[in-house]
Amino acid sequence: MLRMPEFEVHHPTTPEEAVALRAELPGSMYVAGGTDLLPNLKHRLHEPPHLIALSRLSGLDRIEQDPDGSLILGASTPLAALAGSELLAASVPGLVEAAASIAGPQHRRMGTLGGNVMLDTRCLFYNQSRPWRQAVGGCLKKDGDWCHVIGSAKACVAAQSSDTVPMLVALDARLRALLPGGERRELPLLELFSRDGRFEQRHTLPPEALITHVHVPSPGAGHRSTYRKVRARSAVDYPQLSIALAATLEGERCTALQVVIGAMLPQPRPVPGLHALIGEALTDEVCEAIAEKAYKAARPQPQLHGEPSWRRHLCRIETRRGLQQLRSGPQPR
Amino acid sequence: MKQVYPLTINGDVHEVAAPPHWSLLEVLRYGLGLTGTKQGCDKGDCGACTVLRDGEPILACCVLAISQQGHELITIEGLADADGPSPVQRAFDACGALQCGFCQPGMILSAHALLARDPDPEEATIVEALSGNLCRCTGYTKIVEAVRAARDLREAKVFADRADPGPFPRHLPVAHGPPAEGFQVIGSRGRKADAIAKATGAAQYTDDLALPRMAHGSILRSPYAHARIRSIDTSAAEAMPGVFAVVIGADMPTPYCVIPWTADEHALAVDKVRYIGDAVAAVAAVDEDTAEAAVQRIVVDYEVLQPVITPAEALAEGAPLVHDHDWKGRARRDNVCKTVELSFGEVDQALADAAAVVEGDWSYSGSTHAPIEPHCAIATWDPDGRLTLYSATQVMHYLHRELARVLGLPPDRIRVIQPTLGGAFGGKSEPFDLEFCAALLSKRAGRPVKILYTREEVFYAHRGRHPMDFHLRIAADAEGHITAVDNDIVLDGGAYHSFGLVTTYYAGQLLPGPLRFGSYRFRSQRVYTNKPCCGPKRGHGSVQPRFPLETALDELAQQLHLDPIEIRRRNAMADGERTINGQHVPSCGILQCLDAVEAASGWRERFGQLPFGRGLGIATSMYISGTAYPIYPNEMPQSGVTVLADRSGRLTVFSGTNDIGQGSDAVLAYIIAEETGALPEHIRVVSGDTELTPVDLGAYSSRVTYMAGLAAQEAGRALRGLLIEVVAETLQCDPAALIVVPGRYVLASDPDTGVEVADALRMAEAKLGTPVSRSGGYRTRELGGDYRGGTIGASPAYSATAHVAEVTVDPDTGVVRIEHVWAAHDCGRAINPTLVEGQIEGSVYMGLSEALYEDMAYHEGMEARRRAPGEHDRTRGLHLGPNLLDYRIATSLDTPPITASLVESIDPGGPYGAKEAGEGPLHPAIPAIANAIHDAVGIRLRTMPFTPQRVLAALRQAEGA
Repeated sequence: MLRMPEFEVHHPTTPEEAVALRAELPGSMYVAGGTDLLPNLKHRLHEPPHLIALSRLSGLDRIEQDPDGSLILGASTPLAALAGSELLAASVPGLVEAAASIAGPQHRRMGTLGGNVMLDTRCLFYNQSRPWRQAVGGCLKKDGDWCHVIGSAKACVAAQSSDTVPMLVALDARLRALLPGGERRELPLLELFSRDGRFEQRHTLPPEALITHVHVPSPGAGHRSTYRKVRARSAVDYPQLSIALAATLEGERCTALQVVIGAMLPQPRPVPGLHALIGEALTDEVCEAIAEKAYKAARPQPQLHGEPSWRRHLCRIETRRGLQQLRSGPQPR
Repeated sequence: MKQVYPLTINGDVHEVAAPPHWSLLEVLRYGLGLTGTKQGCDKGDCGACTVLRDGEPILACCVLAISQQGHELITIEGLADADGPSPVQRAFDACGALQCGFCQPGMILSAHALLARDPDPEEATIVEALSGNLCRCTGYTKIVEAVRAARDLREAKVFADRADPGPFPRHLPVAHGPPAEGFQVIGSRGRKADAIAKATGAAQYTDDLALPRMAHGSILRSPYAHARIRSIDTSAAEAMPGVFAVVIGADMPTPYCVIPWTADEHALAVDKVRYIGDAVAAVAAVDEDTAEAAVQRIVVDYEVLQPVITPAEALAEGAPLVHDHDWKGRARRDNVCKTVELSFGEVDQALADAAAVVEGDWSYSGSTHAPIEPHCAIATWDPDGRLTLYSATQVMHYLHRELARVLGLPPDRIRVIQPTLGGAFGGKSEPFDLEFCAALLSKRAGRPVKILYTREEVFYAHRGRHPMDFHLRIAADAEGHITAVDNDIVLDGGAYHSFGLVTTYYAGQLLPGPLRFGSYRFRSQRVYTNKPCCGPKRGHGSVQPRFPLETALDELAQQLHLDPIEIRRRNAMADGERTINGQHVPSCGILQCLDAVEAASGWRERFGQLPFGRGLGIATSMYISGTAYPIYPNEMPQSGVTVLADRSGRLTVFSGTNDIGQGSDAVLAYIIAEETGALPEHIRVVSGDTELTPVDLGAYSSRVTYMAGLAAQEAGRALRGLLIEVVAETLQCDPAALIVVPGRYVLASDPDTGVEVADALRMAEAKLGTPVSRSGGYRTRELGGDYRGGTIGASPAYSATAHVAEVTVDPDTGVVRIEHVWAAHDCGRAINPTLVEGQIEGSVYMGLSEALYEDMAYHEGMEARRRAPGEHDRTRGLHLGPNLLDYRIATSLDTPPITASLVESIDPGGPYGAKEAGEGPLHPAIPAIANAIHDAVGIRLRTMPFTPQRVLAALRQAEGA
């Protein structure tokens, strides 16, 4: 069977201890649920001498609501807890849908919110065993200098493949991270991601940063959200493309709207130019216009399963359907 | 460096000593010997390694063992308590949910956890809860039924015939339903002897075995699709501490093949490598980590050659040759592996005279078996030079022969043992590199050697469904009678021969039935390409041509304004008829099959009348019950069975069959029970060991129930005759006055007077001496057409199947969902209906999964401008996803309800009238779905799989037209 490289494992019990270990052990990596990292280790995408297991950190696995209605989600919260949360279902149902769509039941019990946010970018030339990658001479993301997807030595287009990320971006979520020396940083989730899909370059935070919480602003009255995942089969599958939608409806009028495309490029992609439509009623024509903007913003690459032209077409369809769903009424489940 | 730490598993505290980089799966299986937790995919894709952590299912392969301290872990071994197996385990057994059983420990734990948190889950919740556990055998049908049964704990729901609806009995009889009329056991629903062992994790699969001092092997594989080996330097690997032996192709220069006279393959490549993944060298070392590190240190100097990836490239003028020589050593001029051309009747005339003709090109994509158990072999040598090989094989006998040939050993010095097998489907039906390598490495290392394939290696071993391209013409008269079928077929064979000669014939020879052809011609050509080798996958060679035939037939019906079921009725063959190519079909229940699916699906009220986006489709098929002739010509029987009576009251059945999860051991036990009167509980079947059993050719071509079944019937009948003589002597009556009832021989005139079977066995030993035993055999009969190739496709009996599929098609996205499949299968006689249904449900599942999701796709290369700088394009021939995440087999959520109906035509030659059930029911799945898509949205798909992209493209084309 595929084996992991040799490493030492550390089990800090506080976030501060974890970050300190990460900083003092060169080449070390964090491991939370393990469902992303361990397969990648078996593929020898990384050979860290040390793993810093986050499973014994206490207090980071809670879903809490501030008096102002905003949500504080601990980074260690299992994805299954997000998917099963009554509180989230009542306030941000799109996040519940996104969490429930991840992989299979076992993965959702193991995987954590923090791990899903920090998921490595994915590509058919990257998520392969070492012998497979050796056969093609490596790629820009690992052990090579050429991106076989787009035929370039410059850019890695491995796709951001988290299901929670596009939804959280649509919800204007912010990350809270702990850095060495006790520094705490908060930033809009969207700002975490760079345009470069390579492992070391994909995030704007330093690698020692430990995500502690995700903060979701108060959804407020009239808030609606939904997540539409395109995948080849109904379980144990990463997205081929996804559309996260969050809106505020006042009566018929849509007073706020975010549409975010996931599983396309290294960054989640908010559909631009929607402000012109803010304030309109979500008529069929307006939904179609928004879907058209999503289509125009979409640039899927052949780095994931499914023809790019079809995935792009699905941007339009799923945006339209998502909007129709938002329009058709509140969806607390 | 090992670390010592405590883990609480099944309530026991274990002091684990393991390196910190070991996953929980490695610690459970290889550290603690808790092998009930299975390893299937290496990396979190299949769910076979599911265990419970604090009551919740997790994947043991994706967590670090050392991080599990402080948790309560439950493995399958911990689910049973002092009262015996848990209700879920018993329900899985009772419902026939266990076929190969390999996915089941994980599946059962997922089900157990579900029922623990939700005692009354809805059906949809059950299906969702199991969606992270892939099963390749059952189509999830009986699994979901078992979870429902465990939920309800009312066996009445499962065994409607039982009067007493209590909890599952601790000791449910093996045969627990009413038998067929006139029989004691045959026809009754029954458990499999090994099911509860599989459900509790006790069954031992090959990788569950560990021998003292056992070393671990790893195989170096080619990174090039086509290259000549200039030299191999193994010195760095050999010098590594912990490495015991290294072997290369030159160490095993004798070529092999499952068909002995087409040997074109070596245990390890000797001159050239022919696909990415071809085996080059192998290492045995103290552990897997060392073996893999050593493999990385072997230096191979390759001369890279231009590969041919598609059949078109391979057939092009001046194409590079995959093989320079054929198996007779003659220089090759092209990449054609085998060509067959056969013609029956006046095809051209019939086409010219036809009332309607459909002509077109179809393309069938490649797919692979993907059993959840990866191939594994363990070799060990006696001090006196005898080899024992344990292997996950479905053809122990052919493996035995080829081991002798390649290793240069007399066959009597080789013993092949097939432990419990975790699924095969044709994917383990020939020898593989790991078996030869384990054997030779073990000899060189002087200790046992185990080699376990990674999931990626399973994809390279392949031998799956051949991609085929068809140019088909089909003609009918005005009444819808098929007057001509003309099919031109190109098979993409991959790098080696495998069963290629047979596949090339089967692609044409198995098509004329269960529908009658007025005339028939085919030209079938198998081509070598630089890709993993194709071979026999469930429905060997004949699933593919059903797709063009049965979809073209629908078009023909449309042209002639006939109902698609009606046109099939008009062409249905009858019992005892001969196909146009000369095959005798003793029994054919296709009309009953059509009736059954027509009624069950509500066809008459619904076909052609459902709203846009929803549709029904029909298709039929026929398949062999074993091949009339063995793979190597000989005059010996194909199957032998010995039954040995023991004074303990037990009968032991010895048979060289390979139970691969289909339940052949259970079938043999039933037959011996029926014949001798012994209860199935008192019958033990010993199979899967060449040293203990009379020969059987193996579990392929749906031959076991028919052929080993007849052998068992003969042995059982002979033993009964002997026992009746002995009992008659004791009772001082005429033997003809005695009859057999379950467990006893009694006077027909006075059923209270009689002798227990167990007592009869003792009387026989006393009278006749020890041992009391009888044997039976199955000998090939003269069959087949009187022309060259006429014996290929000849079988003593043929099954028949009809499917109706109901689909929904989303016209905006192109996504197809299968809503229901009704499958009626003529199995001749259902010896154990639960097992037959399981074969039908699993076949339907496997067919629909390949219709919609599966594709053995390879990179065909970058355009020149996009290629990485360098001398050649290294992407060509790369498998696009050799793992169970990227190669998508349907999950429980993708699998619709499957309704299996049994049609029993009572074949005149089969045991009690039985025929095959394991492969035929797969064939119609693909064309039935294609035809249903047409009914739903009006498009005719001629390329597989039916991806959303293809559906959308066809819809757009139809709109434009």
